[in-house]
Amino acid sequence: MNEIDQRIKLIMSTIFEIDINTINDNSSFDLIENWDSMNHMNLIVALEEEFNIQFSDDDIENLLNFKLIKFIIKELINK
Amino acid sequence: MRDIKYSEIIKLNKILGVNFKEKNSKKYKISILSNIMVHQSKEIGEYSLRKNDIYAEIDIGNYDNLVQDSENIDKSDAIIIFWELCNIFDGIEYKIDLISEKKYGELIKKVKKEIELIFNNIQLVPLVLINRFSSLIFTQDELNNFRLKKLELTFNKFLEKYSSKYKNIKIIDTDKILSKCGIENSVDYRFFYASKTLYSINFFKFYFNSIAPIFKAANGKIKKALILDCDNTLWKGILGEDGFENIIINKEIQYYARKLSRRGILIGLCSKNNYEDVENVLNNHKEMVLKNKDIVIKKVNWIDKVTNLKSISNELNIGLDSIIFMDDSDFELNLIRKGLPMVEVIKVPNKNHELPILFNYLNRIFYNFIETSEDKKKTLLYKAQIERDNYKNESTNINEYLINLRLKIKVYFNNEKLISRMAQLTQKTNQFNLTTKRYTENDLEIFLKDTQQIVIAINVSDMFGDYGIVGLIIIKYKESIAEIDTFLLSCRVLGRNIEFRLMDIICNKLKNLGIKRLYGKYQKTKKNIQVSDLYERFGFEIKSSYKDTLNYELILNNYCHSNFDYIKVIEN
Repeated sequence: MNEIDQRIKLIMSTIFEIDINTINDNSSFDLIENWDSMNHMNLIVALEEEFNIQFSDDDIENLLNFKLIKFIIKELINK
Repeated sequence: MRDIKYSEIIKLNKILGVNFKEKNSKKYKISILSNIMVHQSKEIGEYSLRKNDIYAEIDIGNYDNLVQDSENIDKSDAIIIFWELCNIFDGIEYKIDLISEKKYGELIKKVKKEIELIFNNIQLVPLVLINRFSSLIFTQDELNNFRLKKLELTFNKFLEKYSSKYKNIKIIDTDKILSKCGIENSVDYRFFYASKTLYSINFFKFYFNSIAPIFKAANGKIKKALILDCDNTLWKGILGEDGFENIIINKEIQYYARKLSRRGILIGLCSKNNYEDVENVLNNHKEMVLKNKDIVIKKVNWIDKVTNLKSISNELNIGLDSIIFMDDSDFELNLIRKGLPMVEVIKVPNKNHELPILFNYLNRIFYNFIETSEDKKKTLLYKAQIERDNYKNESTNINEYLINLRLKIKVYFNNEKLISRMAQLTQKTNQFNLTTKRYTENDLEIFLKDTQQIVIAINVSDMFGDYGIVGLIIIKYKESIAEIDTFLLSCRVLGRNIEFRLMDIICNKLKNLGIKRLYGKYQKTKKNIQVSDLYERFGFEIKSSYKDTLNYELILNNYCHSNFDYIKVIEN
């Protein structure tokens, strides 16, 4: 499932304008400077488009770190 | 742009931005005023314009702060207004049918006042796009006519009336964009109820694609001329082959071209044909819609189309990048794509039912919001201009293009399987035909059995595909002397130097048979003027002439091999 991780990282690095190699399980809303509420929306729509999925309302609010994002996306893909 | 993912758009947009910055390009500043969240419109909108060579920078105003924002906007080159009915006040979609008549009336008054204020505030901004009010997303029910729909109609009426005072305001019919994109695809109710973000990224992709022509026009990137091929474009069939009586006029394209010319778009012809033949159709064909008076410029000749389009651009004094060229042939279109990449080329659809889509597209391309009464006289103005200017003929070297085309000739000697196609070629080919002798299948059968005759059929193909059996040569010989009885090529493969390579093949073959002298004949007809000097170009010498016949001779040892070895020859 490394490929999924990589795709998520690529999107995060594009939207938050950060080096892809700096993204790890600790990467979160609090630690990434450009991760504000506007960019959060960008992240959500970009991820939904990339993986052709739809997050639930609750997910949208909670997807605030890389670890959780990849967990939920894998769950949605495997449904 | 619809196929590009949002994250990709963000990335590409950034790269384009850096490129513009390096080139010191001037920014085109767009402000978006909105009563909903339209955050995603920034990247998508910028990208859609930047890829059209407009260094757009989009600034999104404060959420639901239309009137106040409109007061501090004077530095923008353009404004886009997203004023959504669904957020005129919170929960309007539920509450509107419950409020009293009095309150309903007050609401209308309030919004009208706001429209007036905003339009007044932004009257100095060069260009303002405002979306029509739409209730479509929240009133998809076609049976009931609730207040939200009535509100939409009331506001739009006012919008139209009031905007007519200002030249800078353009109203965008968002319902059309919604129907193209599909409502389901355009809206994400999750985001609307979570953060008042109404539109999806899909919608914005459609939206900016739809409005891009306005910004192109505002930045002077307008298309001015539509140049049309004739055969299989203005009419179905090949005039030089099928003849005046047998072509079928493509009326739809002609009505459309005529409509464009009335709007001030310059219409021109660029066709490989005999000039007189096309004139004859223009003047005398009863079905023709386009007349000489609609056409500004005509390049009807046997010169390659790159050269012709260049002279069109010179004579009309318009940039090549403002020309649209329409043709049915992939070969011609690719020649233009390679030689003149700034010219936009369009392939004529095979089927008439595909035309409405094409015309919709062209309408957008030829969009120009400043249409003057002079535009309508443009055709006349340009015609006069050309008459004053001298004709400048520019030569262009198309060899490089032909090399890249990877042309291939397959040669078939005395092949019985091809008899019917060979007979058909003698009967149908008029233009590239030295002697225009018509033969039946029976005739050809006899030729093939004759040991003193060589019948050569050729197939031509290139990287784009196969043209089929398109050439025929019949040679009669005796001892050391041979004569070319028939030499013809279908007009599908002209302009590719195929004929010179064929001469190489013929000479090789004949030398191997011990032939020393080769005779050729040009028999003039009304249609084969383009090959009148072919034998001279091959290196033949004129021996005699009588009326419309020229007789040529070539000493085979003197024959110079053509320089077109890039055309590969395969013998079957």
